[in-house]
Amino acid sequence: MAPPPYAGTGERVWYYGFRTFCCSILLFLILPIVIVMPLSFNVQPYFSFTSEMFGFDNCTGEFRPFSPSTIETSVRAGSSVSDEGVQHCLNERIRIWEKTQQEDGLAGTAWVGDGALSEAFSIRWYMNIFTKGMVNPELEQFTGAWWSDSWSNSQWLHSLRNSVFIAVFATLLSATLGTLAALGLSQANMPYRNLFMGLLISPMIVPIIITSVGLFFFYNTVNIPYFYPDGLNFKYLGIILAHALLGTPFVVITVTATLLGFDRSLIRAGLNLGARPQTVFFKIIMPLILPGIISGALFAFITSFDEVVAVIFMAGYEQRTIPRQMWAGIREQINPTILSVATILVLISICLLATVEMLRRRGERLRGLSPQ
Amino acid sequence: MAGNGASGDYAVRFEAVQKSYDGEILVVKDLNLDIARGEFLTMLGPSGSGKTTCLMMLAGFEPATHGEIFLNDNPINNVPPHRRGIGMVFQNYALFPHMSVAENLAFPLQVRKMNKSDTEARVKRALEMVELGAFGGRRPAQLSGGQQQRVAVARALVFEPDLVLMDEPLGALDKQLREQMQYEIKHIHENLGVTVVYVTHDQSEALTMSNRIAVFNDGVIQQLSSPEDLYEHPDKSFVAQFIGENNKLHGTITKIDGKKSCEVALDDGQTVKALPVNIAGVGEKTMLSLRPERVVVNPKRGECPSVMDAKIEELIYLGDHIRTRMRVGDHDDFIVKVPNTYGHEPLKEGAKTKIGWHTEDARALDWYTGTIDPGMDD
Amino acid sequence: MVDATANDPQIVNEPQVADAGTLKAQLARATRRQKLMALGLTAPLVLFVLISFVYPIGAMLVRGFYDTQVQQILPNTAKVIGNWNGEGLPDEEVWEAFVQDMQVGAQEKTIGKFALRLNFVLPGTRSLVMSSARKVKRADLSEVENFQEYLTDIKEKWGEREVWAVIQRLSDSIQYDYYANAIDMRINADGDFVMQPEKQRIYVTLFIRTLWMSALVMGVCLVLAYPLAYWLSVLPMRISNLLMIMVLLPFWTSLLVRTTAWISLLQEQGIINDIIVGLGIVGDESRVRMIYNEMGTIIAMTHILLPFMILPLYSVMRTIPPSYMRAARSLGATQLTAFVRVFMPQTAAGVGAGSLLVFILCIGFYITPALVGGQRGQLISNLIAAHIQTTQNWSLAAALGAILLAGVLICYWLYNKLIGVDNMKLG
Repeated sequence: MAPPPYAGTGERVWYYGFRTFCCSILLFLILPIVIVMPLSFNVQPYFSFTSEMFGFDNCTGEFRPFSPSTIETSVRAGSSVSDEGVQHCLNERIRIWEKTQQEDGLAGTAWVGDGALSEAFSIRWYMNIFTKGMVNPELEQFTGAWWSDSWSNSQWLHSLRNSVFIAVFATLLSATLGTLAALGLSQANMPYRNLFMGLLISPMIVPIIITSVGLFFFYNTVNIPYFYPDGLNFKYLGIILAHALLGTPFVVITVTATLLGFDRSLIRAGLNLGARPQTVFFKIIMPLILPGIISGALFAFITSFDEVVAVIFMAGYEQRTIPRQMWAGIREQINPTILSVATILVLISICLLATVEMLRRRGERLRGLSPQ
Repeated sequence: MAGNGASGDYAVRFEAVQKSYDGEILVVKDLNLDIARGEFLTMLGPSGSGKTTCLMMLAGFEPATHGEIFLNDNPINNVPPHRRGIGMVFQNYALFPHMSVAENLAFPLQVRKMNKSDTEARVKRALEMVELGAFGGRRPAQLSGGQQQRVAVARALVFEPDLVLMDEPLGALDKQLREQMQYEIKHIHENLGVTVVYVTHDQSEALTMSNRIAVFNDGVIQQLSSPEDLYEHPDKSFVAQFIGENNKLHGTITKIDGKKSCEVALDDGQTVKALPVNIAGVGEKTMLSLRPERVVVNPKRGECPSVMDAKIEELIYLGDHIRTRMRVGDHDDFIVKVPNTYGHEPLKEGAKTKIGWHTEDARALDWYTGTIDPGMDD
Repeated sequence: MVDATANDPQIVNEPQVADAGTLKAQLARATRRQKLMALGLTAPLVLFVLISFVYPIGAMLVRGFYDTQVQQILPNTAKVIGNWNGEGLPDEEVWEAFVQDMQVGAQEKTIGKFALRLNFVLPGTRSLVMSSARKVKRADLSEVENFQEYLTDIKEKWGEREVWAVIQRLSDSIQYDYYANAIDMRINADGDFVMQPEKQRIYVTLFIRTLWMSALVMGVCLVLAYPLAYWLSVLPMRISNLLMIMVLLPFWTSLLVRTTAWISLLQEQGIINDIIVGLGIVGDESRVRMIYNEMGTIIAMTHILLPFMILPLYSVMRTIPPSYMRAARSLGATQLTAFVRVFMPQTAAGVGAGSLLVFILCIGFYITPALVGGQRGQLISNLIAAHIQTTQNWSLAAALGAILLAGVLICYWLYNKLIGVDNMKLG
């Protein structure tokens, strides 16, 4: 990759300028996502890098509950600097500890060990995910009692359970309905195809606030005797239905696109060879469009997993999801716990993206195989 | 062999079948056709002539808008495709990409609930028949075009159907492979005795393989006869032009002398003799069809009843014959094939000569003005 | 060989051109099963969308003009006030009904809502209603002989025709005030549409700001996405697939995560400010305010919506064979001319698809403006939410929502017309 030999100075400048511009846009796209990762290991409750974070050093150590006494032992034991230095380090750490105690009222955890690094990085915000909301945060960490307290009382774990529960059921619903609809829409004889397609895609287009408000009012008036006599607001079912609705367009779009590349003569071949339509569907159509369905389902999953507006309107405290918890965190008391959650979410996104890419390539490979 | 022609002994019968896709244009217009048991029948025609639609109706993938199709005396309009028991080789083979070759072949047997050992034996036999015994474990994508084609044929035959349909099965292959596969399919047909309905737009394919050829144009069968008849005795201008090379001379009938001869006044004024085949009567327009190899160059006196002046425009040396383009009357695209026989008189570009023909070689046909796309683009 | 003539007595018939009507009917019959099957497969989702999407939104929009609140609070008055022809003052029966309704309303504490509603149209009437209601609440109405005198004795203002005209209008179930309000107008006592007082005009400004910011984000996205998509499309597939991950990852990353990231980057104690202070470009005391204003909203929204622009552009550009540009170069065009005259016109569909999609998503944006927009970066969606959650003026929220929805649907219709919804692609 180099400019052609006949390029003049202007062309050369343009050639390299253009590439620099493109790369900086890519950087603009990716940097904000990457930046949350180091920030989430900040010792201090700020959304920014501290000068210590750039002073890397070798380190050994372990995680201990964060308190003045452990700080003192650890600093004295792990540090090789002079007494004066130790005292300074100690004071500084205790100051930080007190400050964070005031701010979130929680016992944190610190990387206890070698001096320089322990001041810069910590996984206290990750521990916060487990400890925030615990009834008894003084318990010794990682013991059975601690885990059970954390599992049943941590706000973040509670929201995580909700998020996964809601997303899984919403995805199942939207993948089923969306796939069926996509199969219908790609039939040659589908009447009013464009109209139906437009209708089914619209939940993605209509502003989420309008959908949420509409559903909020609607759920107030719904009355399902025995099960939901006071409507669907503040109920899991309501949120699942809302998220399924928001996820279906993605399934419809991806599965329709997959079916577009689907060689129809395979269906005919199956029928011709004597298979009943059901057999053809399960033995031939399904295996071939499955990558498309899974991609669509993953889109639907991430849509539900990210969704916050509908949850704000129609979820109670009991149904809080991860995004709802983050929303509250950003609006109310902003601290790097959000960043550590964000980091985890980014890792999940990377996994989902990798899966979708893999499926897409697999699908392309399979399709590329059939002779054209 | 095939087609003894006794009434009722047919594999397939189309009765007054019509088909329209849009409710306005008929792509198949009132089709009546009987296909004998064991016959190799080819539907030949340019694209859009309705031949593939006929095949799809027979396989059950397109409903006929009118008429009835019979398979072994039974009407099948209301039989779904999977219960028709007709084998089919698709244009792009339609091998299931997610199954191995053996799985593809086993599929029709499995859906028929055949037991495992029989299935395996049959699959093995079918693969051996197409000389792909070692390829059972491969995916279709790992095979060459010719191999995929053979798998497709084997799959269509593995469940031993009485009738096999082939929809331009050789279209995706290169010329050499195509010719080889033509013979292989022909031999399989001869060995198994199944009825084959074959669709193609390639006339040489049709002439090589078929017992009978139905030439389609504009939704109508133009002529249905054996390959020799089709070439030697075309009934219609369309058929004469579509099959093989053909010289056209336009004129008007001036006199009919019984069944063997008529006189035609050509548009440039000369009067020639021809065989009346498909003409309306004296005073009507007609098109004479003359095969290039039947034209006599420099005929001896009295050899040909019809003789015309010609000028040699272009000579192309083709080894076994010399292809000669001549100006005859007001046409300059009159083609004559001069065989490269011992001692034939050398021809020169620009030279003047005479051409002639025997009356039965010039067939007076209907006046056809439509353009013909012989579909030989590949 | 084959006996060609024995069994084909009637091979070729003259083509019959069937009557178009019966042919259509035959075709319909032949394809009905397939049609029903296609419809049957689509039906569950269509029903789901109709019930849990179209109906709720429709019902919400109706809320914007259908309002029976006053009818419910003043049931008797609503029944009789329709007979009044609007001239002079209403008949005694209206006064009597009104006082009775007011007593019930005061006892059941619903009269306050009526007072608010009346005050909404006739400012200053809230205290009129509330103080009268307090008096009427415990009164023994059976002793009252003339209700008109009784009420005007409590407050003289009840004698004004204007008050009664407004009450008559509010007793109707169809109300246009909310829609008027949503475009900074109001309906005065005479039933005419007039502009709101200067300082209360906020919605039109907000709609314009929403459109303007959406157009700006769309424009910035296009300017950034076009060169990048072009570059990706000319790179070898292997490299561009790798780089596409950088485009797709933001697409898959939670909106809240990206918004949070921008807060950490842009805030006054954030990374970008730290860097420019560290480099000595600005002093520590004059850190740049890049967030909680329009700028924050625009930067974060551009970042969030950029993939939606890149993806359609890229997929269109990939399908343009390089031979076109080469042909143009060989015919003597410079690189620039070839690009502008040959390449760019072929990308029009991608530009249209990306721009409309970004614009549509932009005008309905809620989360990012709410988190990083501050006061001046709020869009219309945020105001709708505020009317639902804070001021509880649901009808006004519905009216604002209807206007927003109409705008979105126009864009969506345009998208469908120009590009077609089935060409929408993801990733």
